[in-house]
Amino acid sequence: MKRRFVSTVLAAVVAAGVASTSRAASAQELQVTGPLKGAPAVRGLRLHREGRFELAPTMSFTLLDQYRRTILFGARLNYNITDWIAVGVWGAFGAISTSTYMTDQIDSVAPRDALTATNVNHTGTYPNFGKAPFADQVAKMQYVAAAQATFTPFRGKLAIFNKIFVDTDFYASAGGALVGIQERADCGGGAGQPSCADPNSFQLASKTKVAPTFALGFTFFPGDWWSLGIEYRALPFSWNRGGFDSRGAGTNGNFPDQKIDSQDDTFDFNQMVTISVGFFFPTKPRISE
Amino acid sequence: MLLPQAAHAQKKKKPKGQTTAAPAPAPASADADAPAPGAAGAPASADADADATGKPADASAPAAGAAPAGGDQGGMDICQITPDAPQCTAAKEINFGEEAKKKVHAEVYAVQQQYVMKAHRFEIQPYWAFTLNDQFVSHPGPGMALNYYITQVMAVGVNGTWYGGLNGDSDFNFQNRRAARIAVPLNQYQFSGDVNFTYVPMYGKFAGFGDFIFNWDSFLEGGVGVIRTEPIAVIDPDNRKFDWNTLVNFDIGLGFRIFFTRWLAATLEVRDIMFFDKLENLQIGDTSAPASSPTSAYNPATWTDPNSHLTNDVQLQVGLSMFLPTSFEYRLPK
Repeated sequence: MKRRFVSTVLAAVVAAGVASTSRAASAQELQVTGPLKGAPAVRGLRLHREGRFELAPTMSFTLLDQYRRTILFGARLNYNITDWIAVGVWGAFGAISTSTYMTDQIDSVAPRDALTATNVNHTGTYPNFGKAPFADQVAKMQYVAAAQATFTPFRGKLAIFNKIFVDTDFYASAGGALVGIQERADCGGGAGQPSCADPNSFQLASKTKVAPTFALGFTFFPGDWWSLGIEYRALPFSWNRGGFDSRGAGTNGNFPDQKIDSQDDTFDFNQMVTISVGFFFPTKPRISE
Repeated sequence: MLLPQAAHAQKKKKPKGQTTAAPAPAPASADADAPAPGAAGAPASADADADATGKPADASAPAAGAAPAGGDQGGMDICQITPDAPQCTAAKEINFGEEAKKKVHAEVYAVQQQYVMKAHRFEIQPYWAFTLNDQFVSHPGPGMALNYYITQVMAVGVNGTWYGGLNGDSDFNFQNRRAARIAVPLNQYQFSGDVNFTYVPMYGKFAGFGDFIFNWDSFLEGGVGVIRTEPIAVIDPDNRKFDWNTLVNFDIGLGFRIFFTRWLAATLEVRDIMFFDKLENLQIGDTSAPASSPTSAYNPATWTDPNSHLTNDVQLQVGLSMFLPTSFEYRLPK
């Protein structure tokens, strides 16, 4: 009796499977025999990227800076292998940097005394401290050189008020970058390093950071051979932006140790927004079927 | 439906004064009213009189698109297979001369029929807000927007965000206080709520990987409401205990919506909530004076800065958008 039940159930399952499979196949056949059989989702698409080089001068503005803002001028060179995959490089140098309101406030308000001697730029020695610019000790971003792959999954056209139409795509880039920075030089560590309370210790030293980088952006194509772009980019890495001695001693190294070294680096996302004008070569895009 | 016929008519040059009519049937049928078919491949033409009657040249002939008499024998036309197909019978009733005189509405829209009709529908939009511009205190929180679309592009609604218990005082503040011996006045938020107008100036569709198409729109919104904020005591935390202040705010936003279905979408919006905030006073009052003194450090009147400060709370909102009712009917056919 039990065997018969199992056989019946198995037969029913197989029959149901066969029936459902044949129904699905039938539905699929109907779908692909229509007049749009094999037709692409979009016809006559201007392939703005495929097989073309893009050279784009860029201008980047850093965001959410605590002590110093930087404007970087640079250029991006991409080769678009397909319409949605590209490889390339981006390089920029920090042409303009300005101090933030926070930096100006610290400069004007922070006392120059024994308690701040290792952290705030000053002149003289205890007890005759004088004021020196705080902006001179805060870190600067000098250049960025990045190699990246760009993925362009979405494209279409933008209609504004039903009057202005422009081909648009959305992309994401990821890669690695070398970031040249200037931050407060190491001090207080012996081996010829000055004491961190010494006014000479507030000098900046050049360093190179290795960081991942990723970006999200829109490209607008007003013409066949040029484009406008806006991009959000992040370069996450740790650096000592304020030039403060904040870590190295005590529990978990969370207390000042009278030294400036890599332990005083703090993590930051280092965000920026970039605008660009792209030029494409060859100047005529291919048109899809 | 008539496009193939129109295209066919355009390809053949006609003598002036003649209009295009249905070509002769593949096997030319005997019909006294119809002119004899011309050479192989030449379409039959009707004279002006025939047009004026409104009758086709050959009432029994298959309609336009049929192979010309003695013409391309290899081509197969739908009207040869099914002469009663709609496009074949319809052509018999159409006077092309009259049709050609009609005024053409030449405007063609980039997107002929919008994927989602929003007019007279409610939108429920739950979201999570992230702070974009405040590195001192973050103000994340859940929120909800309710909108009613008066037209396809215009809506009125309300939205609110709850920040209470979720404000985050960043480590950066502590590092500054300890290193430079200075403090920055900090404020936390409890909630904000606004009445908004929404305008949808942009919409369209994108192709994903050149393989599938998704629809999107972009909206602007602005409104007025209230926000409740409270200073965090950092200048004189021993003596100061603040209460919440209810302040008027103005907000503007720019959003982007990607539709998964005709009633469900993902939303991304940047909103700037602007208000004049009350900050903690940087000056500490007289600690030796009694609380009743107007200059006393213990008098709450001395705790806040007498000047209000314009504050922009820029937040990124990520959420879902649900339209009710979930279905709708287009006014015109596609």
